[in-house]
Amino acid sequence: MVRRPLLARAGGLAIGLAFALPLAILGVRAFADTWRAPALVPQDWGLRGFEAAFGGGATVEAFGNSIVVALGATALALALGWPAARVLGERRLRRPGVVFVALAMPLLVPPYATGAGLTEWFIRLRIIDSLGGLVLAHLTAVLPYVVLVLLAGFGTKVTELEDMGRTLGLSPARRLAWVTLPSVAPTLAAATVLGFLVSWSQYGSSLAVGGGLPMAPLVLFPFIGPDPQTAAALSLLYVIPPILALLVTARAASSPL
Amino acid sequence: MSGLHASRRWRDRALVAPAVSVLALLFGGAVAGMLKTSLVPLGADGLSGATLDTWRELLGDPAFVDALVFSLRVTVLATAASAALAVPVAVALRRRGLAIRSLAALPLPVPHLLVAVAAVLWLGAGGLADRLLGGLPVNLVRDDAGVGIVLVYVFRETPFLVLLMLAAMGRGLQERTEAAAVLGASPGQRALWVLWPTIRGPLVVGSIIVGAFVLGAFEVPLAVGPSYPPTLATFAFDATQGSVLAGEGLAAATLLLTSTIAVALAVAAVRFARDAEGA
Amino acid sequence: MTAEGGLLCRSLTVSPGGVGVLRGLSLEVAPGTRTVLVGPSGAGKTTLLRAIAGLEPLEGGEVHLVGRRIDGLAAHRRRIAVVFQEPRLLPHLGVEDNVALTLRAAGVGRGERRARARAGLEEVGLGGFAGRRTQGLSGGEQQRVALARALCAEPDLLMLDEPLAALDPNRREELRRLIARVQAQRGLTTLIITHDRAEAAELGERVALMLDGRIVQHDEPRALFERPVSAAVARFFGVANLLHGTVRDGHLSWAGVALPAPGPDGPATLAIRPDHVELAQEGPLRATVTEAVYTGAHVRLVALRGDHRLEAHVAPALAPPAGAEVTLELPAQRLWRLPGDSDSDGDGDGDGDGDGDGDELSEASGAPSSPADPR
Repeated sequence: MVRRPLLARAGGLAIGLAFALPLAILGVRAFADTWRAPALVPQDWGLRGFEAAFGGGATVEAFGNSIVVALGATALALALGWPAARVLGERRLRRPGVVFVALAMPLLVPPYATGAGLTEWFIRLRIIDSLGGLVLAHLTAVLPYVVLVLLAGFGTKVTELEDMGRTLGLSPARRLAWVTLPSVAPTLAAATVLGFLVSWSQYGSSLAVGGGLPMAPLVLFPFIGPDPQTAAALSLLYVIPPILALLVTARAASSPL
Repeated sequence: MSGLHASRRWRDRALVAPAVSVLALLFGGAVAGMLKTSLVPLGADGLSGATLDTWRELLGDPAFVDALVFSLRVTVLATAASAALAVPVAVALRRRGLAIRSLAALPLPVPHLLVAVAAVLWLGAGGLADRLLGGLPVNLVRDDAGVGIVLVYVFRETPFLVLLMLAAMGRGLQERTEAAAVLGASPGQRALWVLWPTIRGPLVVGSIIVGAFVLGAFEVPLAVGPSYPPTLATFAFDATQGSVLAGEGLAAATLLLTSTIAVALAVAAVRFARDAEGA
Repeated sequence: MTAEGGLLCRSLTVSPGGVGVLRGLSLEVAPGTRTVLVGPSGAGKTTLLRAIAGLEPLEGGEVHLVGRRIDGLAAHRRRIAVVFQEPRLLPHLGVEDNVALTLRAAGVGRGERRARARAGLEEVGLGGFAGRRTQGLSGGEQQRVALARALCAEPDLLMLDEPLAALDPNRREELRRLIARVQAQRGLTTLIITHDRAEAAELGERVALMLDGRIVQHDEPRALFERPVSAAVARFFGVANLLHGTVRDGHLSWAGVALPAPGPDGPATLAIRPDHVELAQEGPLRATVTEAVYTGAHVRLVALRGDHRLEAHVAPALAPPAGAEVTLELPAQRLWRLPGDSDSDGDGDGDGDGDGDGDELSEASGAPSSPADPR
């Protein structure tokens, strides 16, 4: 394109910044000990927000719980979803519609609703307010996303390489490690990150079945109105694990096994 | 049909079975749980004590009707605004590099709750926008119209729709546009005949997901929504905070209804898109 | 001929996706020889290759390799290497690691792996390529890497599926020579698939023609071109002239001209390649040229005598223009009587024997008989 490339590029940059910059306020507010109106820049910088965030022990416990639940739900979703994604991705089902409907339903229904509906049974199974119960509740939302992302990685390209591996004498385990996993690494990474994020962001379902257990978004919420600095500090902490997950898997995808 | 082929088909079904049955169990269990809680009062014995009292109470409650109307309005506004904004943004970013696309995609991994926090910091009373402009003419957070909720979802879901459309545009759109141009199609015709059919599918699917998301909105209205009217999900939540005995049933009925509406809207959207395609 | 030490497929029945593609197919490849399996697309060639390699399950039949029955073995336990139509190199590995993949699977140490991979690359003319990534390689180079990888496995059987199809003509020629040389040097039992009859002739010591899921003729290349067992075989190998008529007293009358046709009396078909039709000064077979197309190597003439049609390939210097009256000659030793009452298609079968007949027009009995259709 010769036509006004600079203008187009500047326009693109403006759009990009319009979506990126508003979030930066979290990073400023978290370190602003004093920021009285009508000043546009904080008067005092400091770590009061983080001190308040860690004032009670609940924050550390909540983040620990959220990480354990997110990892558990993602791992379970990958294990259950892998074979299904394979079959769907390779279009081996004659009527895949039924499966796709089963996958789509949990995405349409509010997570708070599924959580509330499961409460009844979780009480009977004595897994209410437990990490195991939270993993199952989150799985309802995580599994469809994991399958839908993962299936895009499978198809004739992968099966052709696997056939090549078979004729070269690679045993099933080696084929998986040397051919299949490296071939689907990018989508596997994407599915893992997305699964983690979906679980990490769950609010309603955690509230419904996790009642007494502190989870990251639940401890953040009460600060939003009354204490913006602590809310911002907790927000910063809250985005660290997803960003780490994003970086780690992006790395894993670019330099596979 | 050979036996070998049939056994392969059974094997393929068996491979899909774990994921599908776990989902069916969890999702089906959730629906059954909501149904039971909405019909059987707490403490009653089994299904014999089932009544429609809760449903009658719910549908007669003007607060519920307000919540329903409010939720639907917010859903339509947020979904339509996201879709309307996403199309020009996707077109503008079509030829931009990874860096700019990544900037625009930044809200995607950020949980809704954090977007709500940022919205309060920017748009709340005494927030940064207030200070920059020397006073906001309208209230944008915790406002009665739910503008804050809509803004949070538009900011968060527009990049999602943009990403879906960019993925679809990556597959041969350039080549097909060139082919149309060589055949004499004007820019407007190219947009209508080549670009629009390419992005329509992902836009419809993405909008359905966004719509379902906003309809079930919970933490965002709790953070930036008005105290009244509530959304459907926060109405359900409020019910459980009131009287524990009747509240659980009311909440379950509300959420079940919300789920049904979400699915019905999705089905209607798919139908509508298909008809439009056929026309 | 026995395939002790070679490949022996007996009555293979294969139905990929529930569709019967192979129904009772048999094929032998003698040890250390090169057979080309040729046929139009859709004939089932790739299905056969996949079945032999163990990628497609058998519903019936047996596969033997080096005297051992292998159809019960998983694909990775068969000592068969395949070069596919696309190179199928692993994108995350470099050239050397791709070639050494099978050695790594066999537990060969790093040093030896490296040495053998480099030797393999040397053998296919890619010395110096060991450290390269696969992405920047040309199609021909990628296909050579795939060949080196297959050779590194030291298989009992090497199979190549349309290895030249994706290459431009010059690269094809190089790779064709390379495949022939490597196969001969190593004495590898080799099965090559192609849809191109010229490629089949150039690559094969023996050629098996596959039509509609069956091997219809398996012989030395020249026999398929000059002594086809059926009209279908003749057509596939470019025998454009199939002259139908009735034989009486050793002659077939065609367009009012008596052509020598040995064998019993009755309806028969004579076949002659366009390159064997000659221009003559005098003779009974006068015809009108309706088409003369210069093709680079020769001029393709289409001549009509009444409603009888003949095609001839003649040297450009001698070619008459369209509309000219010419006299054509069909040399007796080039005329081939199709075995049987061969008016119909696809009625031949089995392993024809290439020995014996030479170029002479021979008794129809010199060609393989047509056993009952396996269907």
